Amino acid sequence: MSQKILVAEDQQHIRSLIEYKLTNSGYTVVCAEDGKSALEKAGQIIPDLILLDVMMPLMTGFEVLAALKTDEKTRNIPILMVTAQSKENEVLKGLELGADDYITKPFSPNELAARVKNILMRRKRGT
Amino acid sequence: MQLQFLILIVLAVTATIFSIVASVAMIVRKALELGRSRAYERLYRIYSARVAEFLLIELAPNTDDPRPSTVFRQYEELIAPTKKHLEEMNRSRRRFHRDVLRAVLIDMTQDISGDSAERLVYFFYSLEFVEEELRMLQSGKWWVRAQAARNAGLMRARKSITALTAALEDDHPDVRHQAMQALIKLVGVDALGTILRLSRNISRWTAIELSVIVAGFKEEAVPHLTGALESRDQSVVLFSIEMLAEIGFVRAVDPLMNLIRTTGDFKIRAQATKALGRLGDSRAMKLLTELLSHRSPEIRLSALEALGKTGGPDVVDSLEPYLASDDWEERLTAARALAATGLKGIKILQDSEKQEKGEARDLAAQVLEEYGLEPAHG
Repeated sequence: MSQKILVAEDQQHIRSLIEYKLTNSGYTVVCAEDGKSALEKAGQIIPDLILLDVMMPLMTGFEVLAALKTDEKTRNIPILMVTAQSKENEVLKGLELGADDYITKPFSPNELAARVKNILMRRKRGT
Repeated sequence: MQLQFLILIVLAVTATIFSIVASVAMIVRKALELGRSRAYERLYRIYSARVAEFLLIELAPNTDDPRPSTVFRQYEELIAPTKKHLEEMNRSRRRFHRDVLRAVLIDMTQDISGDSAERLVYFFYSLEFVEEELRMLQSGKWWVRAQAARNAGLMRARKSITALTAALEDDHPDVRHQAMQALIKLVGVDALGTILRLSRNISRWTAIELSVIVAGFKEEAVPHLTGALESRDQSVVLFSIEMLAEIGFVRAVDPLMNLIRTTGDFKIRAQATKALGRLGDSRAMKLLTELLSHRSPEIRLSALEALGKTGGPDVVDSLEPYLASDDWEERLTAARALAATGLKGIKILQDSEKQEKGEARDLAAQVLEEYGLEPAHG
Protein backbone atom coordinates (compact mmCIF):
# COMPACT_ATOMS: atom_id res chain seq x y z
CA MET A 1 0.00 0.00 0.00
CA SER A 2 1.35 3.41 -0.93
CA GLN A 3 2.39 5.90 1.72
CA LYS A 4 -0.02 8.70 2.56
CA ILE A 5 1.05 12.32 2.45
CA LEU A 6 -1.03 15.20 3.74
CA VAL A 7 -0.40 18.43 1.82
CA ALA A 8 -1.47 21.49 3.82
CA GLU A 9 -1.28 24.46 1.49
CA ASP A 10 -3.79 27.25 0.90
CA GLN A 11 -2.67 28.25 -2.59
CA GLN A 12 -4.41 26.20 -5.25
CA HIS A 13 -1.64 26.34 -7.86
CA ILE A 14 1.01 25.10 -5.42
CA ARG A 15 -1.32 22.38 -4.17
CA SER A 16 -1.85 21.20 -7.74
CA LEU A 17 1.89 21.07 -8.44
CA ILE A 18 2.69 19.16 -5.27
CA GLU A 19 -0.27 16.83 -5.68
CA TYR A 20 0.70 15.98 -9.27
CA LYS A 21 4.37 15.43 -8.42
CA LEU A 22 3.80 13.28 -5.35
CA THR A 23 0.97 11.26 -6.90
CA ASN A 24 3.23 10.48 -9.86
CA SER A 25 5.98 9.51 -7.44
CA GLY A 26 3.71 6.80 -6.07
CA TYR A 27 2.25 8.39 -2.95
CA THR A 28 -1.38 8.79 -1.94
CA VAL A 29 -1.97 12.51 -1.52
CA VAL A 30 -4.62 14.14 0.67
CA CYS A 31 -4.94 17.93 0.54
CA ALA A 32 -6.03 20.52 3.08
CA GLU A 33 -6.68 24.16 2.20
CA ASP A 34 -6.22 25.69 5.65
CA GLY A 35 -4.53 24.99 8.96
CA LYS A 36 -7.64 23.91 10.80
CA SER A 37 -8.67 21.29 8.27
CA ALA A 38 -5.04 20.12 8.03
CA LEU A 39 -5.07 19.41 11.75
CA GLU A 40 -8.40 17.59 11.53
CA LYS A 41 -7.30 15.48 8.56
CA ALA A 42 -3.98 14.65 10.20
CA GLY A 43 -5.86 13.27 13.22
CA GLN A 44 -8.21 11.27 11.03
CA ILE A 45 -5.88 9.69 8.47
CA ILE A 46 -2.56 9.68 10.38
CA PRO A 47 -0.42 10.29 7.27
CA ASP A 48 3.15 9.05 6.82
CA LEU A 49 4.30 12.63 6.26
CA ILE A 50 2.83 16.12 6.35
CA LEU A 51 3.90 18.86 3.99
CA LEU A 52 3.04 22.02 5.87
CA ASP A 53 2.92 25.55 4.50
CA VAL A 54 3.70 28.28 7.04
CA MET A 55 1.26 30.94 5.86
CA MET A 56 -2.28 29.53 5.95
CA PRO A 57 -5.69 30.86 6.96
CA LEU A 58 -7.50 29.89 10.18
CA MET A 59 -4.33 28.36 11.70
CA THR A 60 -0.75 29.05 10.65
CA GLY A 61 1.65 26.23 9.87
CA PHE A 62 3.42 26.89 13.17
CA GLU A 63 0.20 26.57 15.14
CA VAL A 64 -0.64 23.33 13.34
CA LEU A 65 2.87 22.01 13.96
CA ALA A 66 2.70 22.84 17.66
CA ALA A 67 -0.72 21.16 17.95
CA LEU A 68 0.48 18.05 16.09
CA LYS A 69 3.46 17.70 18.40
CA THR A 70 1.30 17.82 21.53
CA ASP A 71 -1.09 15.10 20.34
CA GLU A 72 -0.01 11.55 21.11
CA LYS A 73 -1.52 10.26 17.84
CA THR A 74 0.25 12.74 15.56
CA ARG A 75 3.46 13.71 17.37
CA ASN A 76 5.63 11.22 15.47
CA ILE A 77 4.45 12.14 11.98
CA PRO A 78 7.41 13.67 10.10
CA ILE A 79 6.86 17.25 8.96
CA LEU A 80 8.32 19.03 5.94
CA MET A 81 7.77 22.79 6.20
CA VAL A 82 7.25 24.99 3.13
CA THR A 83 8.46 28.52 3.81
CA ALA A 84 8.94 31.74 1.90
CA GLN A 85 12.43 32.38 0.62
CA SER A 86 14.82 34.44 2.75
CA LYS A 87 12.76 34.02 5.90
CA GLU A 88 15.40 32.46 8.10
CA ASN A 89 13.35 33.07 11.23
CA GLU A 90 10.52 30.95 9.79
CA VAL A 91 12.92 28.09 9.09
CA LEU A 92 14.42 28.25 12.57
CA LYS A 93 11.05 28.47 14.27
CA GLY A 94 9.78 25.47 12.30
CA LEU A 95 12.83 23.37 13.17
CA GLU A 96 12.62 24.39 16.83
CA LEU A 97 8.98 23.32 16.93
CA GLY A 98 9.98 19.88 15.66
CA ALA A 99 9.82 20.00 11.85
CA ASP A 100 12.08 17.42 10.19
CA ASP A 101 13.10 19.49 7.17
CA TYR A 102 12.06 22.53 5.17
CA ILE A 103 11.91 23.72 1.58
CA THR A 104 11.73 27.34 0.46
CA LYS A 105 9.59 28.88 -2.28
CA PRO A 106 10.23 29.01 -5.18
CA PHE A 107 10.97 25.30 -5.10
CA SER A 108 11.86 22.64 -7.60
CA PRO A 109 9.19 19.90 -7.57
CA ASN A 110 11.93 17.30 -8.16
CA GLU A 111 13.82 18.52 -5.11
CA LEU A 112 10.63 18.44 -3.09
CA ALA A 113 9.97 14.82 -4.08
CA ALA A 114 13.57 13.92 -3.20
CA ARG A 115 13.26 15.49 0.24
CA VAL A 116 9.99 13.66 0.89
CA LYS A 117 11.60 10.39 -0.13
CA ASN A 118 14.62 11.04 2.14
CA ILE A 119 12.52 11.84 5.18
CA LEU A 120 10.38 8.74 4.69
CA MET A 121 13.47 6.56 4.21
CA ARG A 122 15.12 7.99 7.32
CA ARG A 123 11.94 7.37 9.27
CA LYS A 124 11.78 3.79 7.99
CA ARG A 125 15.37 3.19 9.08
CA GLY A 126 14.49 4.70 12.45
CA THR A 127 17.09 7.48 12.34
CA MET B 1 -55.61 70.61 -1.22
CA GLN B 2 -56.57 67.47 -3.08
CA LEU B 3 -54.00 68.24 -5.80
CA GLN B 4 -51.20 68.65 -3.26
CA PHE B 5 -52.16 65.35 -1.65
CA LEU B 6 -52.13 63.68 -5.07
CA ILE B 7 -48.65 65.04 -5.85
CA LEU B 8 -47.37 63.73 -2.53
CA ILE B 9 -48.80 60.30 -3.24
CA VAL B 10 -47.19 60.24 -6.72
CA LEU B 11 -43.80 61.30 -5.28
CA ALA B 12 -43.95 58.64 -2.56
CA VAL B 13 -44.84 55.92 -5.05
CA THR B 14 -42.07 57.03 -7.43
CA ALA B 15 -39.48 57.01 -4.62
CA THR B 16 -40.59 53.55 -3.52
CA ILE B 17 -40.41 52.16 -7.06
CA PHE B 18 -36.99 53.75 -7.55
CA SER B 19 -35.58 52.28 -4.32
CA ILE B 20 -37.01 48.83 -5.19
CA VAL B 21 -35.45 48.95 -8.68
CA ALA B 22 -32.10 50.11 -7.23
CA SER B 23 -32.12 47.33 -4.62
CA VAL B 24 -32.96 44.69 -7.22
CA ALA B 25 -30.20 46.00 -9.49
CA MET B 26 -27.73 45.84 -6.63
CA ILE B 27 -28.77 42.28 -5.72
CA VAL B 28 -28.47 41.21 -9.37
CA ARG B 29 -25.05 42.82 -9.62
CA LYS B 30 -23.84 41.14 -6.43
CA ALA B 31 -25.19 37.80 -7.64
CA LEU B 32 -23.39 38.20 -10.97
CA GLU B 33 -20.16 39.11 -9.19
CA LEU B 34 -20.48 36.11 -6.90
CA GLY B 35 -21.20 33.86 -9.87
CA ARG B 36 -18.18 35.19 -11.71
CA SER B 37 -15.99 34.81 -8.67
CA ARG B 38 -17.10 31.20 -8.21
CA ALA B 39 -16.60 30.49 -11.91
CA TYR B 40 -13.11 32.03 -11.64
CA GLU B 41 -12.23 29.82 -8.65
CA ARG B 42 -13.54 26.69 -10.35
CA LEU B 43 -11.63 27.47 -13.54
CA TYR B 44 -8.49 28.37 -11.61
CA ARG B 45 -8.62 24.93 -9.98
CA ILE B 46 -9.01 23.23 -13.36
CA TYR B 47 -6.19 25.17 -15.01
CA SER B 48 -3.92 24.71 -11.98
CA ALA B 49 -4.21 20.94 -12.32
CA ARG B 50 -3.71 21.15 -16.09
CA VAL B 51 -0.69 23.44 -15.91
CA ALA B 52 0.85 21.28 -13.16
CA GLU B 53 0.66 18.39 -15.60
CA PHE B 54 2.14 20.47 -18.45
CA LEU B 55 5.05 21.44 -16.26
CA LEU B 56 5.80 18.14 -14.60
CA ILE B 57 4.94 15.45 -17.11
CA GLU B 58 8.01 13.47 -18.16
CA LEU B 59 8.88 14.02 -21.82
CA ALA B 60 10.63 11.46 -23.97
CA PRO B 61 14.38 12.17 -24.11
CA ASN B 62 15.50 13.61 -27.46
CA THR B 63 18.71 11.69 -27.81
CA ASP B 64 18.48 11.56 -31.63
CA ASP B 65 17.79 15.25 -32.08
CA PRO B 66 18.83 17.37 -29.10
CA ARG B 67 18.09 20.76 -30.76
CA PRO B 68 16.00 23.23 -28.74
CA SER B 69 13.37 23.24 -31.49
CA THR B 70 12.69 19.56 -30.79
CA VAL B 71 12.08 20.33 -27.11
CA PHE B 72 9.83 23.26 -28.07
CA ARG B 73 7.85 20.97 -30.37
CA GLN B 74 7.25 18.68 -27.39
CA TYR B 75 6.11 21.65 -25.30
CA GLU B 76 3.81 22.75 -28.10
CA GLU B 77 2.26 19.28 -28.29
CA LEU B 78 1.48 19.52 -24.58
CA ILE B 79 -0.34 22.80 -24.86
CA ALA B 80 -1.93 22.35 -28.30
CA PRO B 81 -5.24 20.83 -27.06
CA THR B 82 -5.74 23.72 -24.63
CA LYS B 83 -5.01 26.27 -27.37
CA LYS B 84 -7.48 24.54 -29.70
CA HIS B 85 -10.11 24.48 -26.96
CA LEU B 86 -9.63 28.22 -26.37
CA GLU B 87 -9.92 28.99 -30.08
CA GLU B 88 -13.27 27.21 -30.25
CA MET B 89 -14.81 29.44 -27.56
CA ASN B 90 -16.73 32.62 -28.22
CA ARG B 91 -14.87 35.85 -27.63
CA SER B 92 -16.01 36.72 -24.10
CA ARG B 93 -15.64 33.15 -22.82
CA ARG B 94 -12.19 32.86 -24.38
CA ARG B 95 -11.16 36.11 -22.74
CA PHE B 96 -12.30 34.90 -19.33
CA HIS B 97 -10.49 31.58 -19.74
CA ARG B 98 -7.32 33.28 -20.95
CA ASP B 99 -7.38 35.62 -17.93
CA VAL B 100 -7.59 32.67 -15.55
CA LEU B 101 -4.93 30.69 -17.41
CA ARG B 102 -2.58 33.68 -17.41
CA ALA B 103 -3.13 34.13 -13.65
CA VAL B 104 -2.31 30.46 -12.99
CA LEU B 105 0.84 30.59 -15.12
CA ILE B 106 2.03 33.81 -13.49
CA ASP B 107 1.36 32.46 -9.98
CA MET B 108 3.32 29.34 -10.90
CA THR B 109 6.36 31.40 -11.99
CA GLN B 110 6.63 32.82 -8.51
CA ASP B 111 6.71 29.49 -6.72
CA ILE B 112 8.48 27.08 -9.03
CA SER B 113 12.14 26.74 -9.96
CA GLY B 114 14.22 24.25 -11.91
CA ASP B 115 13.54 22.75 -15.34
CA SER B 116 9.78 23.25 -15.12
CA ALA B 117 10.25 27.04 -15.02
CA GLU B 118 11.70 26.87 -18.56
CA ARG B 119 8.50 25.31 -19.83
CA LEU B 120 6.51 28.16 -18.32
CA VAL B 121 8.45 30.69 -20.40
CA TYR B 122 7.61 28.76 -23.55
CA PHE B 123 3.91 28.66 -22.64
CA PHE B 124 3.80 32.42 -22.13
CA TYR B 125 5.14 32.94 -25.65
CA SER B 126 3.09 30.20 -27.28
CA LEU B 127 -0.19 31.38 -25.77
CA GLU B 128 0.68 34.93 -26.89
CA PHE B 129 0.59 36.30 -23.36
CA VAL B 130 3.91 38.03 -23.95
CA GLU B 131 2.47 39.85 -26.98
CA GLU B 132 -0.53 40.89 -24.89
CA GLU B 133 1.70 42.35 -22.16
CA LEU B 134 3.70 44.24 -24.77
CA ARG B 135 0.47 45.79 -26.08
CA MET B 136 -0.63 46.64 -22.54
CA LEU B 137 2.69 48.40 -21.91
CA GLN B 138 1.43 50.97 -24.44
CA SER B 139 -1.91 51.49 -22.62
CA GLY B 140 -3.08 54.98 -21.73
CA LYS B 141 -3.79 53.84 -18.16
CA TRP B 142 -0.73 53.88 -15.92
CA TRP B 143 -1.93 50.99 -13.73
CA VAL B 144 -2.33 48.76 -16.80
CA ARG B 145 1.22 49.67 -17.92
CA ALA B 146 2.58 48.98 -14.42
CA GLN B 147 0.88 45.59 -14.27
CA ALA B 148 2.11 44.72 -17.77
CA ALA B 149 5.68 45.64 -16.80
CA ARG B 150 5.46 43.43 -13.73
CA ASN B 151 4.00 40.53 -15.70
CA ALA B 152 6.63 40.81 -18.43
CA GLY B 153 9.30 40.37 -15.76
CA LEU B 154 7.53 37.42 -14.17
CA MET B 155 7.09 35.82 -17.60
CA ARG B 156 10.86 36.22 -18.10
CA ALA B 157 9.98 37.52 -21.57
CA ARG B 158 13.27 38.72 -23.02
CA LYS B 159 11.31 39.99 -25.99
CA SER B 160 9.99 42.75 -23.72
CA ILE B 161 13.42 44.13 -22.76
CA THR B 162 13.23 47.03 -25.24
CA ALA B 163 9.71 47.99 -24.15
CA LEU B 164 10.67 47.72 -20.48
CA THR B 165 13.74 49.88 -21.06
CA ALA B 166 11.47 52.50 -22.62
CA ALA B 167 9.14 52.16 -19.59
CA LEU B 168 12.02 53.28 -17.35
CA GLU B 169 11.25 56.77 -18.68
CA ASP B 170 7.48 56.48 -18.15
CA ASP B 171 5.73 59.49 -16.63
CA HIS B 172 4.35 57.44 -13.76
CA PRO B 173 6.74 56.32 -10.98
CA ASP B 174 4.94 52.98 -10.43
CA VAL B 175 5.46 52.03 -14.08
CA ARG B 176 9.14 52.98 -13.86
CA HIS B 177 9.46 51.01 -10.65
CA GLN B 178 7.87 47.85 -12.10
CA ALA B 179 9.95 48.15 -15.28
CA MET B 180 13.09 48.39 -13.19
CA GLN B 181 12.20 45.27 -11.19
CA ALA B 182 11.30 43.37 -14.36
CA LEU B 183 14.58 44.27 -16.07
CA ILE B 184 16.57 43.10 -13.06
CA LYS B 185 14.69 39.78 -13.21
CA LEU B 186 15.38 39.46 -16.93
CA VAL B 187 18.91 40.74 -17.30
CA GLY B 188 20.40 40.62 -13.81
CA VAL B 189 23.10 43.02 -12.66
CA ASP B 190 23.78 44.30 -16.20
CA ALA B 191 20.37 45.99 -16.16
CA LEU B 192 21.60 48.30 -13.39
CA GLY B 193 23.65 50.46 -15.76
CA THR B 194 20.64 51.11 -18.00
CA ILE B 195 18.31 51.64 -15.03
CA LEU B 196 20.61 54.21 -13.44
CA ARG B 197 21.35 55.92 -16.77
CA LEU B 198 17.67 56.40 -17.56
CA SER B 199 16.37 57.05 -14.04
CA ARG B 200 15.40 60.52 -12.91
CA ASN B 201 14.04 61.96 -9.68
CA ILE B 202 14.43 58.69 -7.81
CA SER B 203 11.72 58.70 -5.15
CA ARG B 204 12.35 57.57 -1.61
CA TRP B 205 10.32 54.43 -2.23
CA THR B 206 12.18 53.54 -5.43
CA ALA B 207 15.49 54.22 -3.68
CA ILE B 208 14.61 51.74 -0.94
CA GLU B 209 13.57 49.06 -3.45
CA LEU B 210 16.57 49.67 -5.66
CA SER B 211 18.97 49.65 -2.72
CA VAL B 212 17.80 46.14 -1.76
CA ILE B 213 18.52 44.96 -5.31
CA VAL B 214 21.91 46.69 -5.47
CA ALA B 215 22.94 45.40 -2.04
CA GLY B 216 22.14 41.88 -3.27
CA PHE B 217 24.58 42.26 -6.16
CA LYS B 218 27.33 43.62 -3.83
CA GLU B 219 30.63 44.39 -5.63
CA GLU B 220 29.16 43.32 -8.98
CA ALA B 221 27.12 46.53 -8.82
CA VAL B 222 30.14 48.81 -8.27
CA PRO B 223 31.04 49.42 -11.99
CA HIS B 224 27.42 50.38 -12.71
CA LEU B 225 27.27 52.66 -9.68
CA THR B 226 30.55 54.41 -10.52
CA GLY B 227 29.26 54.85 -14.09
CA ALA B 228 26.11 56.48 -12.68
CA LEU B 229 28.21 59.10 -10.88
CA GLU B 230 28.28 60.84 -14.26
CA SER B 231 24.47 61.10 -14.41
CA ARG B 232 22.99 64.57 -14.82
CA ASP B 233 20.26 63.69 -12.33
CA GLN B 234 21.20 64.65 -8.78
CA SER B 235 19.02 61.91 -7.22
CA VAL B 236 20.77 59.21 -9.25
CA VAL B 237 24.23 60.48 -8.26
CA LEU B 238 23.28 60.75 -4.59
CA PHE B 239 21.79 57.25 -4.67
CA SER B 240 24.91 55.82 -6.33
CA ILE B 241 27.21 57.50 -3.79
CA GLU B 242 25.16 56.11 -0.91
CA MET B 243 25.24 52.59 -2.36
CA LEU B 244 29.00 52.75 -3.06
CA ALA B 245 29.57 53.66 0.59
CA GLU B 246 27.14 50.94 1.70
CA ILE B 247 28.83 48.23 -0.37
CA GLY B 248 32.22 49.42 0.89
CA PHE B 249 34.34 48.31 -2.03
CA VAL B 250 37.70 50.15 -2.39
CA ARG B 251 37.30 50.43 -6.16
CA ALA B 252 34.85 53.24 -5.44
CA VAL B 253 37.49 55.51 -3.82
CA ASP B 254 39.05 56.95 -6.99
CA PRO B 255 35.73 57.65 -8.79
CA LEU B 256 34.39 59.37 -5.65
CA MET B 257 37.53 61.50 -5.31
CA ASN B 258 37.23 62.42 -8.98
CA LEU B 259 33.59 63.34 -8.47
CA ILE B 260 34.45 65.64 -5.54
CA ARG B 261 37.09 67.40 -7.66
CA THR B 262 34.87 67.88 -10.71
CA THR B 263 31.29 68.43 -9.55
CA GLY B 264 29.92 71.88 -8.94
CA ASP B 265 27.02 70.53 -6.90
CA PHE B 266 27.77 71.07 -3.21
CA LYS B 267 25.21 68.54 -2.04
CA ILE B 268 26.82 65.84 -4.17
CA ARG B 269 30.29 66.88 -3.05
CA ALA B 270 29.29 66.73 0.63
CA GLN B 271 27.67 63.31 0.20
CA ALA B 272 30.72 61.96 -1.66
CA THR B 273 32.99 63.31 1.08
CA LYS B 274 30.99 61.47 3.73
CA ALA B 275 31.12 58.33 1.59
CA LEU B 276 34.92 58.52 1.50
CA GLY B 277 34.84 58.60 5.29
CA ARG B 278 32.71 55.47 5.37
CA LEU B 279 35.07 53.72 2.95
CA GLY B 280 37.97 54.59 5.26
CA ASP B 281 40.71 54.47 2.60
CA SER B 282 43.91 56.40 3.37
CA ARG B 283 44.22 57.55 -0.28
CA ALA B 284 41.46 60.04 0.41
CA MET B 285 43.21 61.74 3.36
CA LYS B 286 44.94 64.49 1.38
CA LEU B 287 41.76 65.48 -0.42
CA LEU B 288 39.70 65.38 2.78
CA THR B 289 42.20 67.60 4.54
CA GLU B 290 41.99 70.09 1.66
CA LEU B 291 38.22 70.11 1.95
CA LEU B 292 38.46 71.29 5.57
CA SER B 293 38.99 74.79 4.21
CA HIS B 294 36.18 74.63 1.65
CA ARG B 295 33.85 77.64 1.57
CA SER B 296 30.72 75.48 1.97
CA PRO B 297 29.96 74.71 5.65
CA GLU B 298 28.23 71.46 4.61
CA ILE B 299 31.36 70.22 2.85
CA ARG B 300 33.62 71.27 5.73
CA LEU B 301 31.41 69.32 8.16
CA SER B 302 31.43 66.27 5.88
CA ALA B 303 35.23 66.45 5.60
CA LEU B 304 35.62 66.69 9.41
CA GLU B 305 33.37 63.68 9.88
CA ALA B 306 35.13 61.70 7.13
CA LEU B 307 38.60 62.47 8.43
CA GLY B 308 37.61 61.30 11.88
CA LYS B 309 36.59 57.94 10.43
CA THR B 310 39.54 57.61 8.05
CA GLY B 311 42.58 59.32 9.48
CA GLY B 312 43.51 57.93 12.88
CA PRO B 313 46.19 59.83 14.88
CA ASP B 314 47.71 61.41 11.73
CA VAL B 315 44.80 63.81 11.25
CA VAL B 316 44.47 64.96 14.85
CA ASP B 317 46.54 68.09 14.21
CA SER B 318 44.29 69.01 11.26
CA LEU B 319 41.13 68.53 13.31
CA GLU B 320 42.10 70.17 16.57
CA PRO B 321 41.92 73.83 15.37
CA TYR B 322 38.23 73.30 14.54
CA LEU B 323 37.45 72.86 18.25
CA ALA B 324 37.81 76.64 18.35
CA SER B 325 35.67 77.32 15.27
CA ASP B 326 33.09 80.11 15.35
CA ASP B 327 30.44 77.63 14.23
CA TRP B 328 28.95 75.48 16.98
CA GLU B 329 28.14 72.54 14.63
CA GLU B 330 31.71 72.57 13.34
CA ARG B 331 33.08 72.45 16.90
CA LEU B 332 30.80 69.50 17.74
CA THR B 333 31.67 67.59 14.54
CA ALA B 334 35.39 68.24 15.11
CA ALA B 335 35.10 66.95 18.70
CA ARG B 336 33.33 63.80 17.52
CA ALA B 337 35.89 63.32 14.74
CA LEU B 338 38.73 63.66 17.26
CA ALA B 339 37.12 61.05 19.48
CA ALA B 340 36.84 58.73 16.44
CA THR B 341 40.57 58.99 15.66
CA GLY B 342 41.56 57.10 18.81
CA LEU B 343 43.65 57.72 21.93
CA LYS B 344 45.45 60.86 20.71
CA GLY B 345 42.20 62.63 19.84
CA ILE B 346 40.51 61.46 23.05
CA LYS B 347 43.42 62.84 25.08
CA ILE B 348 42.86 66.27 23.51
CA LEU B 349 39.19 66.15 24.43
CA GLN B 350 39.98 65.06 28.00
CA ASP B 351 42.47 67.94 28.34
CA SER B 352 39.89 70.32 26.93
CA GLU B 353 37.34 69.01 29.40
CA LYS B 354 39.80 69.65 32.27
CA GLN B 355 41.27 72.97 31.20
CA GLU B 356 38.53 74.78 29.33
CA LYS B 357 35.50 76.46 30.82
CA GLY B 358 31.90 76.97 29.86
CA GLU B 359 30.70 75.67 26.50
CA ALA B 360 34.08 74.23 25.38
CA ARG B 361 34.24 72.08 28.49
CA ASP B 362 30.61 70.97 28.14
CA LEU B 363 31.18 70.03 24.51
CA ALA B 364 34.23 67.87 25.34
CA ALA B 365 32.33 66.23 28.21
CA GLN B 366 29.32 65.50 25.99
CA VAL B 367 31.42 63.84 23.26
CA LEU B 368 33.45 61.84 25.76
CA GLU B 369 30.19 60.59 27.24
CA GLU B 370 28.90 59.69 23.78
CA TYR B 371 31.97 57.51 23.35
CA GLY B 372 31.43 55.89 26.74
CA LEU B 373 34.40 57.67 28.33
CA GLU B 374 34.17 59.14 31.81
CA PRO B 375 34.76 62.93 31.85
CA ALA B 376 37.46 63.96 34.33
CA HIS B 377 35.03 66.42 35.96
CA GLY B 378 31.81 64.69 36.90
